[in-house]
Amino acid sequence: MIEVHALTKRYGDFTAVRELSFTVQPGEVLGLVGPNGAGKTTSLRCIAGIIPASSGTARIAGHEVATEPVAAKRALAFFPDEPRLFDYLTVRQHLNFVARIYGVADHEAIAQPLLDELEIADKADQLPGELSRGMKQKLAIACGLLHGPRVMFFDEPLTGLDPLGIRRMKDSILKRARDGAAIVLSSHLLHLLEEVCSHVLILKQGEKIAHGTLAEVTAQFAQGETGVSLEEIFIRATGGTEH
Amino acid sequence: MLGALLYLRLTSLKNLLLSRVRRLKQPKYLVGAIVGIGYFYLMFFRRFGAMSSRPRPSGLSLAALPVLDLTAVFATIGALALLVIAAFAWALPSDKPGLAFTEAEVAFLFSAPISRRWLIHFKVLGAQLRILLSALFFTLISSQWSFLGGNALMHAVGWWVLLSALNLHLTGAALTISRLVEGGVSTTRRRVLVAGLVGAVIVGTVAMTWQSAPAFTPRDRAGPGAILAYVARLIDTGVLHWLLWPGKLLVGPFLASGAGAFFRALGPALLLLAAHYFWVVRSETSFEEASIALAEKRAARVARIRSGNFQLGTAKPKARREPFHLRGRGRPELAFLWKNLLSTRPYFHWRVWLVTAGLIAWGVTWGGRQDPSGLFAGIVATFAALFAGYTLLIGPQLARQDLRGDLSNTDILKTYPLAGWQLLLGQLLTPIAILTGLLWLALLAAALALAARGGTISWLTPGFRPTAGLCLALTVPPLVTLQLLVPNAAALVFPAWFQATRQRGGGIDLMGQRLIFGVGQMLTMVLALVPAVLVAGALVFLTQWLIGLPAAVVLATLVVLAILVGEIWCGLWWLGGRFEKLDLSAELRP
Repeated sequence: MIEVHALTKRYGDFTAVRELSFTVQPGEVLGLVGPNGAGKTTSLRCIAGIIPASSGTARIAGHEVATEPVAAKRALAFFPDEPRLFDYLTVRQHLNFVARIYGVADHEAIAQPLLDELEIADKADQLPGELSRGMKQKLAIACGLLHGPRVMFFDEPLTGLDPLGIRRMKDSILKRARDGAAIVLSSHLLHLLEEVCSHVLILKQGEKIAHGTLAEVTAQFAQGETGVSLEEIFIRATGGTEH
Repeated sequence: MLGALLYLRLTSLKNLLLSRVRRLKQPKYLVGAIVGIGYFYLMFFRRFGAMSSRPRPSGLSLAALPVLDLTAVFATIGALALLVIAAFAWALPSDKPGLAFTEAEVAFLFSAPISRRWLIHFKVLGAQLRILLSALFFTLISSQWSFLGGNALMHAVGWWVLLSALNLHLTGAALTISRLVEGGVSTTRRRVLVAGLVGAVIVGTVAMTWQSAPAFTPRDRAGPGAILAYVARLIDTGVLHWLLWPGKLLVGPFLASGAGAFFRALGPALLLLAAHYFWVVRSETSFEEASIALAEKRAARVARIRSGNFQLGTAKPKARREPFHLRGRGRPELAFLWKNLLSTRPYFHWRVWLVTAGLIAWGVTWGGRQDPSGLFAGIVATFAALFAGYTLLIGPQLARQDLRGDLSNTDILKTYPLAGWQLLLGQLLTPIAILTGLLWLALLAAALALAARGGTISWLTPGFRPTAGLCLALTVPPLVTLQLLVPNAAALVFPAWFQATRQRGGGIDLMGQRLIFGVGQMLTMVLALVPAVLVAGALVFLTQWLIGLPAAVVLATLVVLAILVGEIWCGLWWLGGRFEKLDLSAELRP
């Protein structure tokens, strides 16, 4: 579903992501972790076709992002850390707009259950400026889910959410994965990874230093010890420093 | 304490200047600085130098009569302007507090052991940098006012006195109003009080002037200068004469004719300035809460601008009815038209356009009938042509409901399953619709006015007018599209430059960059139009003898349309590709 091969992103002399390769199958949730500046967001943005990769390939639902961007993007949804919304469109108008962009004919029939599920149905006629941070996040998610994406990218999905919002977000991600979506999320919150992710990929200075199921990665850095927390694994893997 | 506050101000200034100098290492700022300096030199310094090296001309044309004391006239007018500004500050104060602090200043200074009075000192003295720069700028502009005596230094000091006093007065007024509000004086009561005072002054002045107005003699009709002097004499009577007195003291140094007069005027002006300073620093008003609110608002605005959202104004957006029903299926480009129309004013609606067109048609036709001389029609046609020219040239800079206004959402836009050209075309549709609508209205007015004037233009026969009007109307949308493509192309091809020009405030380098963009837009348009104009001209010239002028114009219009549409398509296709490859994060890396 998501196939990334030797993906590299350079900014002049600086290499933000180096030779990154991995795959995510339907139903899997891959957690992308790493210190600040490790290249998590850049990787996500390259794979989602937001910025061009310097070399390497990324395929979404069988379509190569560089050569078939429109087909690839039809299958994906990208959720940035900060919900990007249009100031002058109400909640309902956002969904209307996105439906036309993706050609969702019966969008009203899909939008209403989504609004109900995300508990923003009563805000349907409000503008983003009238919504709380959590509500904006929910609206961004509703917009992303409207066209039924098979691939989802979440960049720091829990930023700015309250405890209830965090619980709902985790449930939502797991529900999509159970429905067969391939999901990649980047986060600093290791407990989120433990609860939500089936796989984890650790990045440091743009390079992959560990990849596998949670159990595999834990075993790789536990050095025979038992009951080692993911936090300890992360610190051992990254050397406890930034970049 | 003052040492620490001065350290903060001076170090910030030093670092600001250093960062401005350092950024000249980037070509976009260096080239901008060179162009900006060149512009300033040509516009001000060269003329300034030339003026100081040759004898000053005898005066402005309106000073043709040497017997007139224009200094006194301008002193009265300047003082009146200051009085009006002061009256507005008291009657209609803005919601901003008298003292504006940044978020960092709020965080560090409000919780520090600094008295309120020292904070006021800090802000009032801190405003001096801006005032000094403004004084220098105004000195450059006023160097071209030939009626002024004195020299550049006197003018600079004069401007500094004026601007400082104005700044202090506005600050003092805002602080005093805050104190009045704290004391229970409502806004309505204050406004009634000020309006009553202003009204009383106006009534008193009119009444006194009525009784003792100087006669309007032929000498007063001798020219604009004489008329101005008469008006100044009329104003400067009764109560107003006393109310204008402080203002006259303040403009005195600026208008001084020589060194002696300057120093005589400077003393009283500085005393008045000192009195203002004393008034402001003694204002024991709690300004902190309003300052914090303003600091947050400003920080949010800066964050919005840095993220690429350059929409001005602080008005809160309101939910609006959709401009038309948008179905789920159909051309995705129309979704952008729909979205961007929602972000414009509600009067950009087809019903409003229709009503306006109807009113124009009725008004111009009716006016033309009432005025057989053709004067009304001539005025309407002239204004319509001016409006159309202004809309075509300046409109694309003002109507920004396109990609330029959506750059902050680039990440989201790039996840949409659309080709780059589709997205760009969709984004352009709203300003195209708005500007085309305005130009068509202007065209309608001009056409009806020319029809009302009758046969004043020999070749514009009644039979030919509809054809010419229709052909012109048809060329409007592609022309507008081309005009809009250029600034959007600038945003995509030179994103770093474009983002730099959108920064607030500035420096001479940013001014230069804006000039480069302006000239670039004009040159690109000329180059884009040259093929169409040449072909159209040749076609009309060659074919009108064979098929007649109307048919030749129609033929030329069709060819022009084909050329312009071809250019637009090439532009959209190329820029769409640029958008697909655009990586703002790479472009904006320092």
